[in-house]
Amino acid sequence: MKSTTRWMARLAAVCISFAGFVTSAQATLVSTEQVAAAQGITSPSAQRDRIYAALDRADVAAALQERGVDLAQARARVAALTDDEVEQVAHTIETAPAGASDFLGVLVFIFVLLLVTDILGLTKVFPFTRSVR
Amino acid sequence: MARVAASLRRLVVVLSVLSAAAWLGGCAVQTEALRQSPPPDLPVSAELAATPFYPQTDYQCGPAALATGLGAAGFAADPVQLAEQVFLPARSGTLQLEMVAGARRQGAVATRIPATLEAALREAAAGRPVVVLLNLALTWLPRWHYAVLVGYDLAAGEVLLRSGTTRREVMTLRSFEHTWQRAGAWGIVLTPPGAWPATAGAEAVVEAAVGYERSAAPAQAVLAYRAALERWGGNLTLQMGLGNSLHASGDRRAAAEAFRRAAAEHPASVPARINLSATLLDLGDVAGARRAAREAVELADPAWAERARAALAATQRP
Repeated sequence: MKSTTRWMARLAAVCISFAGFVTSAQATLVSTEQVAAAQGITSPSAQRDRIYAALDRADVAAALQERGVDLAQARARVAALTDDEVEQVAHTIETAPAGASDFLGVLVFIFVLLLVTDILGLTKVFPFTRSVR
Repeated sequence: MARVAASLRRLVVVLSVLSAAAWLGGCAVQTEALRQSPPPDLPVSAELAATPFYPQTDYQCGPAALATGLGAAGFAADPVQLAEQVFLPARSGTLQLEMVAGARRQGAVATRIPATLEAALREAAAGRPVVVLLNLALTWLPRWHYAVLVGYDLAAGEVLLRSGTTRREVMTLRSFEHTWQRAGAWGIVLTPPGAWPATAGAEAVVEAAVGYERSAAPAQAVLAYRAALERWGGNLTLQMGLGNSLHASGDRRAAAEAFRRAAAEHPASVPARINLSATLLDLGDVAGARRAAREAVELADPAWAERARAALAATQRP
C-alpha cells in the first residue's frame, strides 16, 4: 500500500515536472498571490475552481436562475475576489451539511445571499425595526 | 422539552438585552479622547463638500455608497449599474467583500483603513471620503448600513455623512463611533491606482494591491505597486507584484529589473529567482536565466523545490 502510494507520488512528480518541461516555453511565473500566501498574508488556495464548479452544477444554476441571479455576473464576481476571499466562501461551502438536498440548499443559500442585492434582508426578518430608507 | 427550550430562549433574550444595555451605556472612548486631546496635526474640522451624492433607492445603500466613493476618487459611477454588479449579502463578513470587489472591477483600488476613529477622520481631513459600514441597531439585532464619511467637526462633536437619501447627514461623533465599532469598524478608501490612503498600514496595502492586480489591467497594477513601493520599498510581495505586473504588461526588461531587485534584497526568496529566471529566458539571456534558476534550486526551500527545478530545466533545453 505504502509502496503503491510512493510509486504514485513519483509518477505524479514526473508528470508534473514533465508538464513543466513541455509548457515552459511560456515561462511560468510565481504569481503575486502565491508569494503573498508564502509570506503569510493570505492563505494559499485553489478553491476558485471549486466555486466555479459549484456554479456549473445544473441544479445550482437552475436554482439561481429561478431567483433571478445571472450566472455570468456570479462568475465575474468570483473572478474579482482574491484567493483569501474565495477561501472564505469555499470554506462555507465545505462546512455545509453533506446531505444531497441539504447541500444544494446551502449552496443556493450562500450564492443567493452573496449575490442578491438585499443589504437589508436581515431587517426584513425583524419588522419592528425601522427601515433605513 | 419544548418548555425548557422556551425558557432557555427567554434567558438568552434577557441576557442579550442586559449585555446590550451595559454595552450601550459604555462611553465613546475614542470620541472623548479625540475631543479632549486632539492630535495637533489633525484639523479641528473638515468637510469634503464636493463629494458627489447618489441617493439610495430601495434597499441599496451599498451601491449608493460605493458610487459616492468611486465618484470622489474620479471614477464614473452609476449606482444602478453598480447594483447589478455589487451583490450585497445580508451577512456580515462577506458583504464587505462585495464592496471591495465591486470597486476593483470599476478600476479603483479599495484599501481598508485602520479601525480607529482617528484614522477615519484623518482620511477625511486629507480629502479622501471613507466608505463605512455601520450597524444602526444592536449587536444581536443588526441593521447594516453603508454610508460615506465626508467630514467632521471635533469642536461640535459631529461627523458628516452621505447616507441613504440624505445628502448631508449630521451624526454625533459618539453615535458614529458606536455604530461604526458595532460593525467591526470596517472602512475603505477608494483611490485611483498610484495613490494610497495616508493611514493605511503595510498589510492592508499589500492585500489591496494583490487584489487589485487580479482584476485590473497590468499597466494599472504597475502604477499601484510602484506607489506602494515608494512607502514600503523592502516589501517582497509588493516587489514581486510589480515584477509580475510589468511582465504581464509586456515590459520584460523592467520586469527583470524588478525581480533582480527583489532577489538581491531577499537573499532567501526562491520565487524572486524563479521569476527572474523565467523573465531572463523570455529576453533571451539563457546564461543569466540559468544562473538565477540554479540559485533558486540551491536555496533548497521545500515549498518551492518543484518550481525551482522546473525553472532550471527550462533553461537547460536546447
